[in-house]
Amino acid sequence: MQSSETSSMEVEKLPPKPKFEPLKAHEISDGRVQFRKVSVPPHRFTPLKKAWMEIYTPIYEQMKIDIRMNLKARKVELKTRSDTPDISNLQKCADFVHAFMLGFEVNDALALLRVDELYVDSFEIKDVKTLRGEHLSRAIGRLSGKGGKTKFTIENATTTRIVIADTKIHILGSFSNIKVARDSLCSLILGSPAGKVYSKLRAVSARLAERF
Amino acid sequence: MARPIDGGGLEALHRLKSTEPPQWLSPSSELSQAARIASQYLFSSLQPFCPKSPFDSLLVEGFDAEQIWQQIDLQTQPLVSNLKRELKRFEKNPEEILKLLGEELVKKAAKEKTEEVSDKEAEGFEEENGGNDGSEDFEDIGDEELGSLDEEDEEEEEEEEEEEEDEEEEEGGDAGNGGGGIEDQFLKIKELEEFMEKDEEREYGVSKKKQHNDREADDGDEEEEGSDEEEEEEDDDELGGLGVDGFEDEGTDKMEDARYEDFFAHKKKKGPKRRSEPLDGSEDSDSDDRQEDEMFLENQKKENLSTHEKELEKLHSKIQQMEKANLEPKTWTMQGEVTAAKRPKNSALEVDLDFEHNVRPVPVITEEVTASLEDLIKKRILEGHFDDVQRAPSLPSKAPKEHKELDDNKSKKGLAEIYEEEYVQKTELASAPLSTSDEQKKEASLLFKKLCLKLDALSHFHFTPKPVIEDMSVQANVPALAMEEIAPVAVSDAAMLAPEEVFAGNGDIKEETELTQAERKRRRANKKRKFKAKTAKKLAKKARNDTVLKHSHDEEAS
Repeated sequence: MQSSETSSMEVEKLPPKPKFEPLKAHEISDGRVQFRKVSVPPHRFTPLKKAWMEIYTPIYEQMKIDIRMNLKARKVELKTRSDTPDISNLQKCADFVHAFMLGFEVNDALALLRVDELYVDSFEIKDVKTLRGEHLSRAIGRLSGKGGKTKFTIENATTTRIVIADTKIHILGSFSNIKVARDSLCSLILGSPAGKVYSKLRAVSARLAERF
Repeated sequence: MARPIDGGGLEALHRLKSTEPPQWLSPSSELSQAARIASQYLFSSLQPFCPKSPFDSLLVEGFDAEQIWQQIDLQTQPLVSNLKRELKRFEKNPEEILKLLGEELVKKAAKEKTEEVSDKEAEGFEEENGGNDGSEDFEDIGDEELGSLDEEDEEEEEEEEEEEEDEEEEEGGDAGNGGGGIEDQFLKIKELEEFMEKDEEREYGVSKKKQHNDREADDGDEEEEGSDEEEEEEDDDELGGLGVDGFEDEGTDKMEDARYEDFFAHKKKKGPKRRSEPLDGSEDSDSDDRQEDEMFLENQKKENLSTHEKELEKLHSKIQQMEKANLEPKTWTMQGEVTAAKRPKNSALEVDLDFEHNVRPVPVITEEVTASLEDLIKKRILEGHFDDVQRAPSLPSKAPKEHKELDDNKSKKGLAEIYEEEYVQKTELASAPLSTSDEQKKEASLLFKKLCLKLDALSHFHFTPKPVIEDMSVQANVPALAMEEIAPVAVSDAAMLAPEEVFAGNGDIKEETELTQAERKRRRANKKRKFKAKTAKKLAKKARNDTVLKHSHDEEAS
């Protein structure tokens, strides 16, 4: 029944198909500006001050996001501009700043801005195994290794970045790499010696390197 | 002096003989006187026969009976031994009897009286005339035999006897003359000949020539022996009969009628008879005597056998011996397996045993051996030539695997940079993937190229193909197109790695969930085995290192 009606309608002149341009950042949410606010933990305040320009430049210049530091509230605020190309930029910048706040370095966190599929994964030691007192301390020591070499080994083997903040562990990298790193860290927490983890990493890294 | 004494002596003897036995019981001077005279007479009559009698006549007056007896004894003792010797001689060569007889024939008449007297005196003076009896009986027998011979024998025999007598006389004469300068008190040719003949008789039996002589001798010997056995008499009769039968008829007729049984058959009958009779016969005589007599008889029989019969007998005895040995149980050396209990004590020492030695004999360590060993050791140490076990070097079948080394330093590049580089690799086709070892390799290859250029210049750039050096590197499974050609002629989907290079089929093919129980167990067992081997190796290495360290410490300490 409808088909006959449309066909009758089509006999008459159809209006031109509408062309919709992609929405700009400010047009989303009806032209209102979007904000992101990232709180700054006290231990990251000084490093933020030191690395402010490195943070500010790529965000403002390349991402086209306004950024400012609210000292009183101890927060970093991000706002879209009219010429922000993509609404996801805001989120990326927010993630970038958040990663810095977790403890990653600017160079490492910068990858978040550049590469799409990078994530930050956080977990606690107690999620893996309940450790108390000295055991906990030893676990942390095992994770980092002597002079941090175990951590660096994992980072190099899996092209990730790891931050061990007391009992919290943060991993930055692609999904599969995060998985591998997480497995090694978990095995370290559970008590396997570093050598065993290394052998596993060796095998994994060779496989990872073959892939593109 | 002899005549009156002789007549007196004879009278005295007669008187003694006539006295009755009871008269002897009471002592009477007449009888004693008569006895003295008689004994004197006898003594003097015997005196010429005695070789060494100290007295010419018996000293009777004023002498005790004991003293008279001693004198007689002095005379008779050597006489008796002489006579015995003579007897033995006659036993051995009976022809001398004939010689004697020949001589005696002449003196026969003269001695008749003395024989009678001696016979009478035999009763009273047995001891004195023991020896005389023998010789006189001998003479009797000789006379009797001669008489019988004269009656029965033919001319042949007489001729033979005469010949024999002649021969014997000649022999006797020869013997009497002596063998020149050869003979002395030890070597007598006569005795030699006697021994020869005796031996020959023993070996081959008695020769025909001497058969009757033997028979006569046998008869004489047997009778002289004085044994009162019936067999001898029987033998005598039979032998005598044989002799009679054998030589009754003259000529070849007798030979043709002669049969085996005549010669040999009766001997077999004699055998059992002989054996049975000793058992039944006189038990007075000792068994030893009986056996000796039997042996004597057997020897007598054997002397009558021919050579062939003797050999046969020897064979038979041998066969019997062997059969007897076969029936008996064997000696322990001939029995199979013999334990120590089954053989006599220490018998194995006497026997020369031969057995196999399965083990090499223990080497005897002498000073030379040790010296030689020490020299060898010194020489080896000087040379440095030890017999150490050297591990065979394992040949590398493939190039050493390139391990991606784990870098435990903080990465200099930031994460962003790493991803940037990755992106560039992916999109741009210019640069090949470089691994850390490649840089060093590049440097090395560069140097080598420079070197090769200079060397080739030396050889005027004559082409030599480059040696193929397999290098092991991690190949990225990037489309080959990306690696090789900028402008591909044809679009190719071929990847850089061949499918077997992507996955060789080693390692776990099955998924975890697909494994069966047995396979799971096998996997676990393999893992355990590898781990154990590895830990053992590590422990050994550690132990070695520890000992080395310890030694070094010790050395430092000292």
